[in-house]
Amino acid sequence: MQNVYLAATAATPEVDFRFDTHSLSLKGESYPENAQAFYGPLLEMTARYLAGLDHARIVVDVQLAYFNSSSTKLLMSLFELFNDAAVKGNYVTLNWHYDEDDDTILEFGEEIADDYPALDFVAHALVA
Amino acid sequence: MGLIAFHRFQDLAREENVVFYYTGYFSQAMVTAMGDALRRRLDRSDAANVTRRKLFSVFMEMAQNVVHYSADPLTEADDGEIRRGALWVGERDGHFYVVCANPVENDKVARMKEKLEPLRSMTNADIKALYKEKLRADGEAGSKGAGLGFLTVARDACEPIEFDFVDEPDEGSTTTLFYLKASI
Repeated sequence: MQNVYLAATAATPEVDFRFDTHSLSLKGESYPENAQAFYGPLLEMTARYLAGLDHARIVVDVQLAYFNSSSTKLLMSLFELFNDAAVKGNYVTLNWHYDEDDDTILEFGEEIADDYPALDFVAHALVA
Repeated sequence: MGLIAFHRFQDLAREENVVFYYTGYFSQAMVTAMGDALRRRLDRSDAANVTRRKLFSVFMEMAQNVVHYSADPLTEADDGEIRRGALWVGERDGHFYVVCANPVENDKVARMKEKLEPLRSMTNADIKALYKEKLRADGEAGSKGAGLGFLTVARDACEPIEFDFVDEPDEGSTTTLFYLKASI
């Protein structure tokens, strides 16, 4: 499975999915014109990657300072894939990085933790 | 417009503490550039980080709403959309506000009112609860987002959102002008 690297743009996050070391990261901001067009292929690749795993330890780092409403549901779909993989017997850590005074991002992370309990969710406050 | 009229327009904008005003066609590139300019302007203000983030979020939802849903497109396709509208950001009584305006098809008005009106009487806790419910629901037909746009605006606003639908001046027009305002 080929790793994926997409540099950040103003409206899309840096995507660094190192499937070979089970280390995946999203970093930056997300307000693309068409969120489905941006996340659709990533969801598809991630699903294919996860399908081939068994008892793997996967670490996902998410550090998004802002995402718009149309990115929101697609991000949830991505976390659902990780949760399904964890239910199947993999071990998935989701490191959720947020600015210490950003309640919106923290609360969103808490929603993920509630909805996808198979994930090992760890919130990390970034201190300015 | 003569320069005198332009002066009047500028004076009114100054009196109303308009930070930012744009009217015309909106594209993603334009929205990104405007968002950047707005952030730079906020960097020079003493607004709290939380306020800046909420203002940017409301700005982005409204501006992208024009790009995706205005009834006056320059483009045909769903990618590279360019549509007409107006957006302004102002400051009043210690709060920022954002207003957007764009034409919508007449037959969409009733449904938009149904979505917007309940948000006006909800508490912030109610809005967050509804947001969470929608986050888990399936996408809506005709929505390019997740049906979360207006809820996101209402969530980030510090008082109930305001909206209005105003008839276009031409008789028999198939569109209505939609206004949405949120204070942060």
